[in-house]
Formats: sequence, C-alpha cells, structure tokens
Amino acid sequence: MMKSINRRGFLRTGITGAAGIVAFSPSLVSAVSSDQAENIIYRTLGKTGMKVPVISFGVMKADNPNLCKAAYEKGIKFFDTANGYQNGNNETMLGNLLIDYPRNSFFIATKVGAVGLDKEGKPTSKTTAEDFLTKFNTSLSRLKMDYVDILYVHAVNNPELLEYKPIINAVKKLKKDGKIRFMGFSTHRNEPDVINAAVATDNWDVILTAYNFKHAYINELNSAIKKANEAGIGIVAMKTLAGGFLDKEKTRPVNSTAALKWVLSNTDIHTTVPGMTNFDQLDLNVKLLTDISITEEEKNDIIIASAETGLYCTGCSKCIPACPMNLPVPDLMRAYMYAYGYSDPAMAYSLLGELGTNDNPCNGCNICKVECTKNFNIREKIADISRLVNVPADFLT
Amino acid sequence: MRKFIFIGFVLIVFSGLALAQDFTFPELAGFKKTTDYPVFVPDNLWDFIDGAADTYLAYGFIDLHVAEYKKGKNVIKLEIYRHSDKTLAFGIYSTERSPSFRFMNIGAQGYIADGAINFFKENYYVKIRTYSISEKVLQSAESLALKVASMLRGDSEMPAMLSQFPEIGKKINEETYINESVLGHKFLNKAYKAIYEAGSDNFSIFIMENNSPAEAMKSIETYLAATGMDAVGAGSGRYMLKDGYNGTIFLAWKDNIIVIISGLSKDQSDVADRYTSEILQ
Repeated sequence: MMKSINRRGFLRTGITGAAGIVAFSPSLVSAVSSDQAENIIYRTLGKTGMKVPVISFGVMKADNPNLCKAAYEKGIKFFDTANGYQNGNNETMLGNLLIDYPRNSFFIATKVGAVGLDKEGKPTSKTTAEDFLTKFNTSLSRLKMDYVDILYVHAVNNPELLEYKPIINAVKKLKKDGKIRFMGFSTHRNEPDVINAAVATDNWDVILTAYNFKHAYINELNSAIKKANEAGIGIVAMKTLAGGFLDKEKTRPVNSTAALKWVLSNTDIHTTVPGMTNFDQLDLNVKLLTDISITEEEKNDIIIASAETGLYCTGCSKCIPACPMNLPVPDLMRAYMYAYGYSDPAMAYSLLGELGTNDNPCNGCNICKVECTKNFNIREKIADISRLVNVPADFLT
Repeated sequence: MRKFIFIGFVLIVFSGLALAQDFTFPELAGFKKTTDYPVFVPDNLWDFIDGAADTYLAYGFIDLHVAEYKKGKNVIKLEIYRHSDKTLAFGIYSTERSPSFRFMNIGAQGYIADGAINFFKENYYVKIRTYSISEKVLQSAESLALKVASMLRGDSEMPAMLSQFPEIGKKINEETYINESVLGHKFLNKAYKAIYEAGSDNFSIFIMENNSPAEAMKSIETYLAATGMDAVGAGSGRYMLKDGYNGTIFLAWKDNIIVIISGLSKDQSDVADRYTSEILQ
C-alpha cells in the first residue's frame, strides 16, 4: 500500500531552457528557421507534380498528435496512414490534428485493402468494389477531409490485382469524383513484377514500395523503379530501415540515418515514409530534410548491416536450380526457421519427414554453388537442421 | 563445439514444444476447419498484416496462429496473436479499440464491429472476422469467439493498474497502454493512459509503474533535466513544467509510481492536484 504523499502541490514550475525537449515550442507558428526551410530538399512525385520533402512521415505507430504537429512545423508535410492502422484510430488522430491546418499546406495518403484476396494475393469473387468503397469512405470520415491526396490500394503483391476491374474502376471513380487526387498502390512482396506490371498500364500515379539495403532482389527492383519513374509514376519508399534492428533481441539498432540516405541516394525514389514514435527520431530525420549526402562511415554501417541475415527465408526459390543435389533448399530453410525461429523442432521434424531428406543431404557435394539472395550460408544451415532426423520422434512429440 | 550447439538445440526443443502446444483450434459445428497458414513470427508478420505489423512488434508480439472455418461460400477467419504478457496484449488490443464499438462480455474484454469480434485474454489478442452478412454466420463467429475464450489459459481480468484511474470524468473504454515513447519521449515508457472530460476540461492522465523507486527517479530526472530543472525530494514530488512539445505538464511521483497529466493549463494545478492525490494516496 502506498503511503500518503507530501502534499505541497504543484508549486514548482520548470524553466524553459535551451536543450532537449524545449528546443521547439508549439506556440511558434514556424519552428523551422527560414534558412533551413530554404534548404529543404524536395523531389517531385512523378506526374502528380506534388513537391514533397525527401522525408515524409509514416504515421502508423504514432499515438501522439503533438509528434505529427512538430513534424509539420519542422517541414515534414506528407503524412502516410492506412485504413487498418490501429483499426482506424490512426486516421482519427490525424484527422483531429490536421483539421486545424490549411488543407493545401500538407499532403495525406491513406491505404485501403481489397478484401477477399487468396493466399497469392489474387482477387476472388469476394473482392468487391462495394467493400473497398465502404472502407475508403470510412477513412475519409475519420480523416475529416473532403479528399485525400493519394489513395493506395493496400498491399498489392500479385500483378493480377492491378488488372482487376472492380477495384480499378472504383479507384478511378473516386479520382473522377474528386475524393482522391491521385491513385496508387503499395507493395511489400514480389515488388519488381508488380511494379513492371503497373508501368505497362496507364492507371497508376504513385507506387509505395518496400525498399531498403537488405532487399533480396535489389537489382530487379531498381530496374523496375527506374522504369516506373521514367513513366512518370511517383515512387515512395517504405520499410526503409529493414526492421530497425540487426538482431532479434533488439540490441543492435540499424543506423537509421545511413539507411535513409542509402535509400535516397537512388534519385528514382522521390520520398520516404519512415515510422516515427518519438521526438529523437523526428530530430534525426529532420536533419535529413536538408542533407542526404552519405558519409564513408555511414556507407560502412550499411555494408556491415547488409551482411546480417536473420532467419526468414523469403522463398524466392532462386537457389533451387543452382543446387547440384536438387535439394528443396527453401523448405529446408523453413525447417531451420521452425526450429530456431519458432522454437518448434517438432514442426521442423515433421517437415523434414515430409521432404524425405537424410541427416546429411549435402554428402558427396564438395562445393556449394547455391547463392542465397539473403546471403544465408545454405550448406551450414542444411547440415545443422538435417541432424534433427536422427533424434527419436518420441523425443520431440 | 558442434556437439555443444546441438545440445543447445535440443534444449530449445523442449521450451519450444511447450509453447507450441498451448492450444489447438476448436471445431465449429457446420464449418470445415483449415489451418494451412504458417505460424507467423516477428520476422514474417508483415506477410500477413502488412504495415500494421510494426505496431504489433512494439507490443511484444511472439507469434500468430491462423485458422479458417468454411461453410459454402462463407468464411470465418480466426487469428490468435500471442504477446509476451497480459499488459502488452491489452496494449495492442487498446490501440485498436474504439469506444463506439459494441462491447461484449468475453475474455477480459471484447467487442463486435463490422463483422469482426476482437477480444483479449491474458497474453492473447484474438481477432475473428467474416465478410458474410448472414446473421447465422455472425452467430457462428460469436460462438467461435466464446469457444476460443474458454480454451485460452489465464484469467479474464483487465490489468489491475487500470483501477488506479479516478472514475470522475474518465471516458469509458478509452484507456490505452503505451509501451514505448510516452508523450513522444524516448525516456518515458510503459504507461497506462486514460482520457478525461470533466466539465470544460479535457486532459489525459498517464500512470507508470516502474520496477523500483530508483527506476522511477531516473525517468523523472531525465524529464526534468530536459526542461532545465533538477529533481529534488527523492521518494515523492510534484512539478508543473513546460514541455516544449506537449505544453503544460503536471508531473508527480511517489515511490515507483509516476503520474503525468497533460492537457490542463498552468492555472489548473488544483485539478491536477486533486486527481494526482487520488491516484497516489
């Protein structure tokens, strides 16, 4: 039980100092100096003509409107949210904040997902325009706006969705009706194919794509992004910090400044939407508004971080043709992840049983020719996980 | 060395097995159950919920088990998110909760909204969704939710700290738990938050339970130092300070408990005093 408190009341008042949290006062109309404002680096978001700072705001995790307010005052004017973030509470927070600002003083993008997609991201008979429009209108209502600048179809991971008329026509109608200024989509997987498919049509104004120093198919992705940029499509990069940490224990953070500079060194990328939840992150990112030149030390950080692999196999299957033993490498990597990532060796054991591989499937193959797109040491991981088949089943189940 | 690694691996075997067998998906009369989704973990959660994954990861997400129940064209999808503890499960649940939803007595708390039934119990956050508008299917979804709630281990109580918030003026079902960067400050973490509307006053109260008085003092000192102030009176104290980002802040602490009130003006210290006293008494 707590003892009674010393009831002297709130008599002490802080003195506004010069450092840390008092560096910026919300009472100021503009917290960014005129010098800094003049030096903000803008890029034009393709044919939309939107001039956007190279750093924008991925609002998804933010819960404090004062953080968004501070970003706005410091020159970050483009906010990225989604219908599904915090089950809509994220849009509501932004709407309550931005209603006090002139509508033409900021840009806002939201995302609405098509429902009823199958596991490969293809539309099905349950993928309807009605559901999509209902969700969009809910978003607009939460944002308290007449229109959004960009509406992304959320998580397009299969090119077939880009050609699905019910959704495409619904988005086009929203544009025609003035409820959205520009139409776009976001993509997290299979990005090169999806972006190339978008370039082949004349529908899309903006693409929001995963893009970071650890991306598995960076050459293909760069090529697709270049084509999209040349076609006048605006490119926004997300997942720029590749998860934010180099280890599962979250003890080794990614050098976020280096990671963002690395992304922006590709001039086909027009802006980025790093997630921010605190003022320290904001202050770091604000510095990038005026300086994105990457130092040698930052380059080294990226090189070192790129070598970290993690446990998750993306299943790209590019390893399969390279294996002289014709081993099901992605499945073996999955078994490895079950054991070490999920701490579920029974599941790994079961999968190995289905695959029918023995306790040393690389036996007889002296030089591993498999080059993993995630830089896994395939041979070592296969040798490690395959020993599990020698453990008696009763030991595991 | 390799033998040692393998022994370590076998040790992982047993801890992993215990986790994996926490539950099995229940049957649902008239529906065919399929469970061919992988178990999602922090590395691949974004495969399933895209950009929303980051918020889940910030709340101690461990894994996600997914099942589908099919009957003709109707599908009910069940998602069971396991977080590292009850507080964090409440945290993720509360970020997605809205007071406008229809609340139901399930688990520690749950609600129905637009074909979705979401609830949390102990360290699990459960989401059940159908796009069907058939009343029978919606009833089946509710029935499934009840089965899952009874299947999951643990108690069905809300986090005890929520009872520390004074009732007068508190907005119902708007309490949240913020795991990182309270008020946007990296040095303030793990706070319950409630929103108040008392007369014409609108403000928020944050309660942070630290592991020790020393830990509480460290946060207090960092906050005060950032405003150019020194903390005095270890053990307890009350300050009004000007936070350049968040405006006037009333900050109080006693032992390991910190109370922060934001949204009141500097001439409302009597209101802050009243609420703070009730919490810290």
